[in-house]
Amino acid sequence: MKIDRDEAKRIAGLAHLEFDDAGLDRMAGEMTKILSYIDQLREVDIAGFDGGSSTDATPLREDVPRPSIDRAAVASNAPAFSADGHFIVPKVIGE
Amino acid sequence: MSELLNLPWHEAKTQATARELLDASLRAIDERNPALNAFLHVARDAADGMPVAVKDNIVTIGMPTTCASRILGSFVSPFDATAVARLRQSGCSIIGKTNLDEFAMGSSTEHSAFGTSRNPWDTTRVPGGSSGGSAVAVAARMVPAALGSETGGSVRQPAALCGVVGLKPTYGRISRNGLVAFGSSVDQIGIVTKTVRECADLLGVIAGHDPLDSTSSSASVDDYAADLDAGIRGLRFGVVREAVSQLEGEVRANFDDALTVLRGAGAVIEEVSVPTIGYAIAVYYIVANAEASANLSRFDGIRYGHRSARAKTIREVYFESRGEGFGDEVKRRIMLGTFALSSGYYDAYYGRAQAVRARLRADFDAAFARFDYLLTPTTPEPAFAIGAKTGDPLAMYLSDIFTAPANLVGIPAIAVPSGFSRGKLPLSLQVMGPHFSERALLRAASAFERETGYWRELPPVCT
Repeated sequence: MKIDRDEAKRIAGLAHLEFDDAGLDRMAGEMTKILSYIDQLREVDIAGFDGGSSTDATPLREDVPRPSIDRAAVASNAPAFSADGHFIVPKVIGE
Repeated sequence: MSELLNLPWHEAKTQATARELLDASLRAIDERNPALNAFLHVARDAADGMPVAVKDNIVTIGMPTTCASRILGSFVSPFDATAVARLRQSGCSIIGKTNLDEFAMGSSTEHSAFGTSRNPWDTTRVPGGSSGGSAVAVAARMVPAALGSETGGSVRQPAALCGVVGLKPTYGRISRNGLVAFGSSVDQIGIVTKTVRECADLLGVIAGHDPLDSTSSSASVDDYAADLDAGIRGLRFGVVREAVSQLEGEVRANFDDALTVLRGAGAVIEEVSVPTIGYAIAVYYIVANAEASANLSRFDGIRYGHRSARAKTIREVYFESRGEGFGDEVKRRIMLGTFALSSGYYDAYYGRAQAVRARLRADFDAAFARFDYLLTPTTPEPAFAIGAKTGDPLAMYLSDIFTAPANLVGIPAIAVPSGFSRGKLPLSLQVMGPHFSERALLRAASAFERETGYWRELPPVCT
């Protein structure tokens, strides 16, 4: 599987990562090399094997309210936090 | 005083108070850590108790958690990981946070944003990774025990390269609550100690169901130390044919010597085939990276960690913060994982990898129908030089060739010291068992340790 610069750029966009052209080319080359190793999986006979979802259902619990994380601790870790308890971010709507 | 730290913990605590032992540990850290860079943070105000070091991708109250990355900034977790809380409740003292490859992505600790750790047996060489700091902390006798984490071998491989015991429990045996997620279907907290008994004791403290981790098992917690002296007479060990057929030189000779020791103790040893084991690395690097690409999306500059000072729009907050905060290996793996999950490639890559994984599980199940344990060396080679593999990601990934299978199928596995190379670098035997067979696994490891006693040898930094 060959990854070229455009494909690397597409993937980077999905991953919310930005690279300059040199970075994209380097990433494309490394991914190509790694994926060509991974491509050996094509030779495995997987008939009858479904990697899909686990047969175990996700355990559920009763919806009982419990104390959560202390807000002061949240505020101290936040890059920007308002006095009334909101994370401050640049405008989202309209972008 | 520091000789106390060379003793197994149950002996050391008969000879000194908890305070004296903690102080001995702090002194050993002050003396040995500067040259080894095992610790990213030392808790000088640690409470009295058995000092345990914690890999810095496991959250702890009152001290930083960095995941050896710049992207977490000065983050201090408001909660303890469940395993950490259980250690504290049992009287252990969390003495510090250990170095790792950034976000546990690596096999050498060289991908830490804060410099590599160094192997105490030869400080020009890597300690392995990603739990390199934890392995060094125990190998250099700075602490009697450390928590690490495993996704593809990241406790067993550095334990092997540093000459200590490293256990990966069954998937679900130890709660993942508070372990920063990398590959959620494979991640497990692991234990590093110098002896098998210390490992068994700690497993009993931290294992068990946790309502905060829906993948944690309700299987009852066993008395893991109960069979340590029971021996292995008549027990059946399968040597994985596809693993050993490639071995040569010192690693081959050492592995054969280990088999001789086990036979001498009464083990029945035969070869067994696990036909798809050679594909485990390829499966791992799709599945783990795919899951990582989702798990690391939370590092976005919004709620915690680094937010780029250059960011003016919301898009820039995400892209610039992540670009500035993540190292190259992390970015590489996020890219691979994103690709494997992306439209048009999901079935061919992630879907196929999961199907091969299911086949690998079937191969292991078939092998365990005939054998109590499976054997391989832990790693294909002893500790390599710092810088030797950082230019070749794929070469680095192949360090996990014997360890990653156990992560993918969820079985427990342990690395025990099996001797030294001609260059006095540690070598290691890996024993694998069926799901939830930790008690039996520790029994086998203990028998091997009893016959060999390699843990009594100390690296140069301790003598």
